[in-house]
Amino acid sequence: MENLIIKATQYTPAIDFNLETNILSITGKSYPENTFEYYKPIIFWIEEYLKNVKDEEILINLDLEYLNSSSLKAYFDMFDMLEEANSEGKHIKIKWIYDEDNDISEETGEDFIEDFKNLNIELVVKS
Amino acid sequence: MNISKIRTIMAEEGIVFSFSGMISQALTAFMLETAKNQLEEKGEDSKVIRNMCLISIEQLQNVMSYSKNKDTSNSNKYISPGVLVIGIDKKKNKYYVNSSNEIIYDDIEKVTKKIDFINSMNKDELRKHLREKLRSAEDLHDRGAGVGFIEMAKRSSEKIEYDFEHINGKVYFHIKTYI
Repeated sequence: MENLIIKATQYTPAIDFNLETNILSITGKSYPENTFEYYKPIIFWIEEYLKNVKDEEILINLDLEYLNSSSLKAYFDMFDMLEEANSEGKHIKIKWIYDEDNDISEETGEDFIEDFKNLNIELVVKS
Repeated sequence: MNISKIRTIMAEEGIVFSFSGMISQALTAFMLETAKNQLEEKGEDSKVIRNMCLISIEQLQNVMSYSKNKDTSNSNKYISPGVLVIGIDKKKNKYYVNSSNEIIYDDIEKVTKKIDFINSMNKDELRKHLREKLRSAEDLHDRGAGVGFIEMAKRSSEKIEYDFEHINGKVYFHIKTYI
């Protein structure tokens, strides 16, 4: 298995999944037209990664601006998968990062916390 | 072609950005950046700009996915004819996002039901409804979660305005969302 690095485009975020540090970061905008197709290899990578990882602390940084509605669904499903892995004993921490004035992103983060009570999600305001 | 007519209409209607033609993902990104820059130059509030962008994304991607004459020859990258207008309603002193595309006749009832139901909800109910839809995935299809109208309503300061125009056996769907 290799690190997953995908460059950002105007409407898709930068992906930086690092096997050595166990830090998975997604940064940028997410409003592709074919969202599920775009996220398929990313979700697949995480699935494979979760099979291989053991006691390590996993940190997932999500810094997303402009999520379209289908991207919301993609992240909802990703959180579902992460919650399941957590209940199987993985140590996952998620940082939901947003700009101070981005109340939409803050609200989205709050909703994820509410919906995924067994996940460790922290809201982080960008400094 | 009287181009000054277009300029006059745009000024009168407070239009800051408009496009009519084949809408693609690349063009969506370009239009959004352009409209965003224009609003930023005017010194508009960042929250207004963000809502404008999110509503425009949902409307344009709806045009791309549901326009009757979409070109799907390039796999999952659609190109569809439609119209987008972003402007300021001078009476309300609010920005609006307005779009139009031809739809298939059978979609009229489905769209009407969906928007009327969404329009009956307040913000808290919309927030809950969206999360329920994301969980149940009942309106899921290969290009989206079927929750675009909910997102628009959440980002809007008023109810979603829409209508269907019948011209020569064709049906055009118009949608207008105020920020």
